[in-house]
Amino acid sequence: MHWLYLALAVVFEITVALTAGRAQGFTRPGWTAATLVSGGIATYLLSQALLTFEVGVGYAIWTAVSGVGIVVLGALVFGQRLDWRKFLGIAAVIAGVVGLQLSGAA
Amino acid sequence: MSTTTAATTENDTARSDRARAWPVLLLAGAFEIAYALAVGGSQGFTVLSWSLIAVVFFLLTLFSLSLALRTIDVGIGYAVWAGIGAVGAALLGPVFFDETLTPVKVLWLTLIIGGVVWLKLSDSPKQTQTEQSAHQ
Repeated sequence: MHWLYLALAVVFEITVALTAGRAQGFTRPGWTAATLVSGGIATYLLSQALLTFEVGVGYAIWTAVSGVGIVVLGALVFGQRLDWRKFLGIAAVIAGVVGLQLSGAA
Repeated sequence: MSTTTAATTENDTARSDRARAWPVLLLAGAFEIAYALAVGGSQGFTVLSWSLIAVVFFLLTLFSLSLALRTIDVGIGYAVWAGIGAVGAALLGPVFFDETLTPVKVLWLTLIIGGVVWLKLSDSPKQTQTEQSAHQ
């Protein structure tokens, strides 16, 4: 269940990144509200995940997988280029998460 | 103000914005550590004190990051901010809560945090273009 909460928290954190970009330094009220609401939901879901995950572990996975999601979404939806350097970063994050899980630390 | 030309004032403002952006970004990273610890300490938002602290730092980290990203490239800014937050939460988690930082955890966390910092640094392709336009 804690993995599900963390996955949902990632979805809303990606939404924060997308809406914050459009809020333009919080000068546009609609997008600013969308950013705050998404961030609030992401925070609540993260808090549920952190009931089981240790803070350092759960937070690192959450922020890193969100970062990967933003870049992958940028490539799939907004046509940004995925080069070998980005693949290396994505691979490192995935390997780290799998490693934590297999070692029983997450 | 009255003795300088409009162009000079504009340049000075841009320069001081850039100089101030980095301390603000580091501050945003510190706020993010506090946010992570408070969200963990809130026990799913059932502990009032930690919950209130979490809300305050949630607003502070978001506001200061957006302020810093007005002048700092998004990829670099996000990498520094996320890196500080994640390393800080991992190091301070055991200080505030009943957690341990074993060598195995350090190994995998280093890979995860290093991975996302590297990824975000790779994700700023327009950096040189932005700098060029800023100098024009």
